[in-house]
Amino acid sequence: MLTSDRFVRLCRARDMLREVGDRPLTIDEVAREAAISSFHFIRLFHALFGETPHQFRIRSQIERAKELLAVGDSSVTEVCMDVGFSSLGSFSDLFARRVGTPPSAYRRNVRSMVVVPGTLPKELIPGCLTLMGPAFAVFEKHPAAGSLRLGS
Amino acid sequence: MKIKLTSIMVEDQDKALKFYTEVFGFVKKHDIPVGHFRWITVVSPEGPPDVELALEPNANPVGKTFQEGIFKQGIPATAFEVENIDQECGRLKAHGVVFTQEPQRQGPVTIAICADTCGNLIQLYQRA
Repeated sequence: MLTSDRFVRLCRARDMLREVGDRPLTIDEVAREAAISSFHFIRLFHALFGETPHQFRIRSQIERAKELLAVGDSSVTEVCMDVGFSSLGSFSDLFARRVGTPPSAYRRNVRSMVVVPGTLPKELIPGCLTLMGPAFAVFEKHPAAGSLRLGS
Repeated sequence: MKIKLTSIMVEDQDKALKFYTEVFGFVKKHDIPVGHFRWITVVSPEGPPDVELALEPNANPVGKTFQEGIFKQGIPATAFEVENIDQECGRLKAHGVVFTQEPQRQGPVTIAICADTCGNLIQLYQRA
């Protein structure tokens, strides 16, 4: 069982992995902060959050980058630096692999959806899925029933 | 008025469907693509067959903040009833599930709390 002390330290470690400082902490350093051996830290982190510390950090960086590209004014290079990458090439490659489009194309696509400046496009925020559940059930049985959109 | 549908927010719908079916043992009922996300529901094989749990994406930042907030406080996002809590906890641990509370008698119920690997703590309870 996870003691509550360990649980709190793992939650804090997750926050640390999300932070972008001058130099990102290594996984070993974060484990040390959490006072857990690296091996156990990675194992426990995965059991608690469903991904390894490294996977979590990459995902956080990509998510933050998506947000900045969607609503911010920074260039792709600035976004790359802001989320903690030092090489634009590796950032763009990783972004394209994860998201399906390179950062610049992602920005163009998302910007074309933006209605209110400075906010995320509605299409990227699931609105009322639960409320629409019964409608989906109908939709599944009768695909011609109509077109359904998120965020409405 | 009936309650037929409830929902839980999840970090990654694919992983959630896998965990909720393969580890918790629920059965997929719906999986319909909707824009960038999917409408996914599961039901319990122990019934009732028409009470569904939707695995909702937590992509709404407000939802994510709430989900992470209660997680950090150690508060379960929802609770599932089990027949035999000791047996269930043993089974889940064999799957690598981590518990923040071992089965503990609390009045008329025995409860335990585990992580669903999708951003939530889940309470399991057995009625006395």
